[in-house]
Parts: sequence; C-alpha cells; structure tokens
Amino acid sequence: MQSPDEETLVERACRGDPDAFEELVVSYQSRAFRTAFVIAGDAADAEEAAQDAFVKAHRALGRFRSGEPFRPWLLTIVANEARNRRRSRGRRAALALRAADPGAPGEDPEAAALASERRERLLTAVQRLRDDDRDVLACRYFLDLSEEETAATLGITRGTVKSRTHRALGRLQEELE
Amino acid sequence: MIDLELELRDLAAHLDVPMHPPLAGAVLVRITRARRRRRVLTLAVATGLAALAVALAVPGSRASLLRFFHIRGAAVRLVDKLPPLAGHRSLGIPIPLDRAPFRLLLPSGRRPARLYAGDGGYWLRYPGLLLFEFESGNGATLIKKAAVGTHVEYVRVGGEAGIWIGARHAVFLPGGPPVAAGHVLIWQHGVLTLRLEVAVGLDQALAIARSLR
Repeated sequence: MQSPDEETLVERACRGDPDAFEELVVSYQSRAFRTAFVIAGDAADAEEAAQDAFVKAHRALGRFRSGEPFRPWLLTIVANEARNRRRSRGRRAALALRAADPGAPGEDPEAAALASERRERLLTAVQRLRDDDRDVLACRYFLDLSEEETAATLGITRGTVKSRTHRALGRLQEELE
Repeated sequence: MIDLELELRDLAAHLDVPMHPPLAGAVLVRITRARRRRRVLTLAVATGLAALAVALAVPGSRASLLRFFHIRGAAVRLVDKLPPLAGHRSLGIPIPLDRAPFRLLLPSGRRPARLYAGDGGYWLRYPGLLLFEFESGNGATLIKKAAVGTHVEYVRVGGEAGIWIGARHAVFLPGGPPVAAGHVLIWQHGVLTLRLEVAVGLDQALAIARSLR
C-alpha cells in the first residue's frame, strides 16, 4: 500500500514532472540497489541494473496504472535487469556476510562464533540452490517482501510463490543436513 | 521450517550489502539526454514527413520519387538515361507447344504462332504480340530500366500484382546486351510471372492478360 504522498508523487511523475521522479528515485534507490544486489550478487552489476531500471521505469510511466502500488512495479523492472545481468555473466557472484560484529556487550563469545558459523553454512546452502529457488527466498527473507510483492517482482503468481518458497525451504533444509 | 525462516531473516541482517551509490543524478542525466534525443528525432521525422508530403503533392516530384517498382520475378528501375540498346536478339530455341514443362497460359486459349525456350522461360509469339512466361518462385528476376519520365505504374491483374510500362524501355535478359522493348505489362500469376509486350494501351493489355487460360 502506498502513502497518499507517494501516490501524488507518482501521479506528478506520470504527468512528466522531473522533480517528482527525482524524489521517487531518491526514495527507492536503496531498495532498488539492494534488490538488484541480492539477485545479481555483484555491486557494479547491481548499480547498473538499478540505474537502467529507473530509466526504463521513467520511459514506461505512461503505462503505469494510476492507483496501483509503485514499489512492486518498480522492483519487477529492477529484478528483470538484475537477472539479465546475472544471465549474461553466465554465473552468479556469491553473497557474503559482513565482517564479524564485535558482539553485543555481555554476549558469550563462543555463542557468537557458533552463530556466525551457522550463518556461513546457511548462506553457502542458499547459494547452492537453483536460481529460481534462491530468488524467491531472497525476495521473501532478504528483502522482506510480502508474497504479493514477491509475485509481482518475480513475475509469477502468488500460488507459485507459496509453492516455490515451500520447495526452496525443503531443499535448503536438505542442504544443511 | 519456522526456525529456518527465522534464521534466513537473521541472515539478511548480516549480509554484506554495500551502501547504495547515489543514483538520482546519473538517472536524471540519462533521462534528460534521452528526452533531448527523442525531441531531435521527432523534429527530424516531422520535418522529413512534411517535406515528403510537399514532394508527393507535386506530380513531377511524385514521379521522380518512385524510381523503383518490384513484383515477384520482375523489377523496373527508372534511370536518368537508358543504356545503348540492341534492336533485336534471338528468343531462344523453337520448340513444340507440348514440350513446355509446365502448362503455358494462352491468350483466349489461342496457340502461339511460334514457341521458343530461352532466357529461363518460354516466349510465345503471336502476330503483334509477344508473351514471356517463366517460373519466378525460384528467385529468377527480369530486370528492366526505363528513362525517368516514362509512364510506369503498379496495376492489378486478376487480383495479383503487376507493373505497366507505357513506353520504350530496356530489358535485361541473361547472357545478352539490353534490348529495346515497347509497351509491356508484367504480372504475377500463381508461381509464374508473365510479360506481355503489345502495341496497345493499358486497358487493352489488361483485357488480353485477363483472357489467358
């Protein structure tokens, strides 16, 4: 659901107001870059994909249906651009974990190390999944998109999101065992 | 599964995702450039269309703009000057009518006075009329050149495409110099392309073409 402010902004951008579109880019650049990054796995590709997606979105504004949510519409274009780059590279770059946090005060260092190890294993297992399984998990858990937004972003039905998520989690569990 | 889902959400918080680069500036530059390019292109197209409309409104210009006519098996090009033309050339080897490998179409069903095999097809000679028939589906093409100002137009013969050349012109046949030809109607008929040369106007030529069977 978009806020009334955002709806106004989108309407102004659709009418050709460049300031309104700039505001939309500023609001969504972080989200667009993160989406492209978790799909493409590479910062340079993600930047290009996000930039191209905004340019394409601007060109396609005339086809945007007033009142529709803007975020999934934009993320669909971003995800397509990111997947195209991943496909043209022939392999996907690996996601990585941030350097170990110093840990919260009072946290058991041994427990923190175990948690970090567990995350490493989980990330490795996620990266062994097929692209479509990995994409659905990335949308649902890494980008925190709803089922509906995931469906729009990946261009599949909500039912397929449900079944693919279930299948991907099952395969992930098998990878971890 | 619930645990795994929670772990994935926790993993998301620990992923090394670089800080997003500022995209707005680059995006706006690209959009502005594209808009400028579109504006220039639109202006160029509009100017071109206006010039074309003006040119087509003037009969002389219209004729000079249409310098190339094409149907399957034949092309007519308008040139500023005709090449030197041979007055006469052999039509090929005389053969009996029943030797043609496909059923020849005959004006009003009449048998020709002479039939020749040559130039990749068959020449049917009648008093005051010359008909050439060939299978054009294999890419064979009859090339003709006519001087600018010659009356050349597209016509329809029995629903198929044709070209009428209402004046002397050059015809290029394989293996010989260009020869002179008079009024000619060329048209498609199924897999064949036919060329009718006869000293009559377009209406009469069309009537003869339609009588072929």
